[in-house]
Amino acid sequence: MANTVIGSSIVIDGEISGDEDLVIQGTVKGKISLKESLYVEGSGVVEADIETQNVEIAGRVTGNIVASDKVELKTDCRVVGDIKAPRILIADGASFKGNVDMDMKER
Amino acid sequence: MATGETGIIGKGIVIKGNLTGGGDLVIEGRVEGQIALKNHLTIESTGKVQADIRAEELTINGEASGNIDASTRVAINASAKVAGDIKAPRIVIEDGAVFNGSIEMDVRLPDDI
Amino acid sequence: MATPKELSGSNDVNNTVVGPSILISGRLTGDEDLTVRGRVEGELTLSRTLIVEPSGVVKANVAVRNAIVSGVVVGNINATESVELTREGRMVGDIHAPRVIIVDGASFRGRVDMGDVEPGRLPSQRPVVARPAAPVTRPSTAPARPSAPPARPTTPPPARPTAPVATTRPAPAPTVTMPARPASKPLPPPPPPRVEPRPVAPPVEPASAEPPTPFALGAGAKKKVVVKKKTR
Repeated sequence: MANTVIGSSIVIDGEISGDEDLVIQGTVKGKISLKESLYVEGSGVVEADIETQNVEIAGRVTGNIVASDKVELKTDCRVVGDIKAPRILIADGASFKGNVDMDMKER
Repeated sequence: MATGETGIIGKGIVIKGNLTGGGDLVIEGRVEGQIALKNHLTIESTGKVQADIRAEELTINGEASGNIDASTRVAINASAKVAGDIKAPRIVIEDGAVFNGSIEMDVRLPDDI
Repeated sequence: MATPKELSGSNDVNNTVVGPSILISGRLTGDEDLTVRGRVEGELTLSRTLIVEPSGVVKANVAVRNAIVSGVVVGNINATESVELTREGRMVGDIHAPRVIIVDGASFRGRVDMGDVEPGRLPSQRPVVARPAAPVTRPSTAPARPSAPPARPTTPPPARPTAPVATTRPAPAPTVTMPARPASKPLPPPPPPRVEPRPVAPPVEPASAEPPTPFALGAGAKKKVVVKKKTR
């Protein structure tokens, strides 16, 4: 699987969509919609609404997250926004501000 | 093409006017005006052409300015300096060549562009 | 997966890849190489190299250092160093770069502007700028060698009289020719082959005001010249 990597010096202002895993080490502003997994690494900065299957966040995310499977906030991450997903993991050391909604009744 | 007949315009020759012909032609000198050839035209590194050129195939090692219309292929080699608009199904520009102008080839793009 | 440390590590590990199913639309900027296997639309600015692989589609205005196009680009590319269209490359748009390479098999429609790579290399095109250096001595007829521009005033003249005169013509006049042409030439250059208008008639008129007699062919600007053939 050819992973998509947005390197640490890259800044994207717009929309990213696709059917494969996406790794963000740089900055993305706008909107992200994926059918697979999103990884926001330690250096990654996302100011975007996110719609995906899985998200793993070690960096910073500002925006609302909707995941069809799982959201994982890792140590040292900083997330501001609402999260909606059937499974949500928040690690010790993660910082998070926003609402959590695990009730996926519409699905 | 493989007629084996090749005309040469030598280094010291200057032609002003229209140049037409059937065989291959090599220009080592200077031509100003218009060129219409049925076959292969080569402009050698000493050659200098200021002309609109029509040919089947064109190889440029020297200088050319003017519009070019080739029915098969245009090769702009590393030593060439070309200015003008080029129309041909195949166009090659080597590294080192200098070209300013427009290029028109058939570009088949994906449908969703 | 490597965890690259900030910008410093952007040398090898840290190349950005846009996978085949990914679509990015918007503005993308960065200081590292970018490989596109999917699709990027909008605006793309990199201080390094853009690689568009065969599956990649870039529909954007692109400003980069280098671009290597094996996929599809629709839009203009402005490169500070080079643009290469490889065998599978397809592009519609304008290219502005000092080095442009189009390989056999690539297809392209648009303008190419390599700028003033060598000042004054095409006397017919930028005569005014090129001239001041050696207005009289430099015969604009001289075959411009790609080498150093400064060398031109000196090299070409000797080359012309000797070779041609010896082979094609009786000796007498050649030395007259050289001075004669530069003298009559400096005026005409502006009119000759402007690149724009396609149906340009041979813009030779001004020169023929004082036809360079030594070369008989040069005199009759209008008559057709039948190329002499010789068998190789």
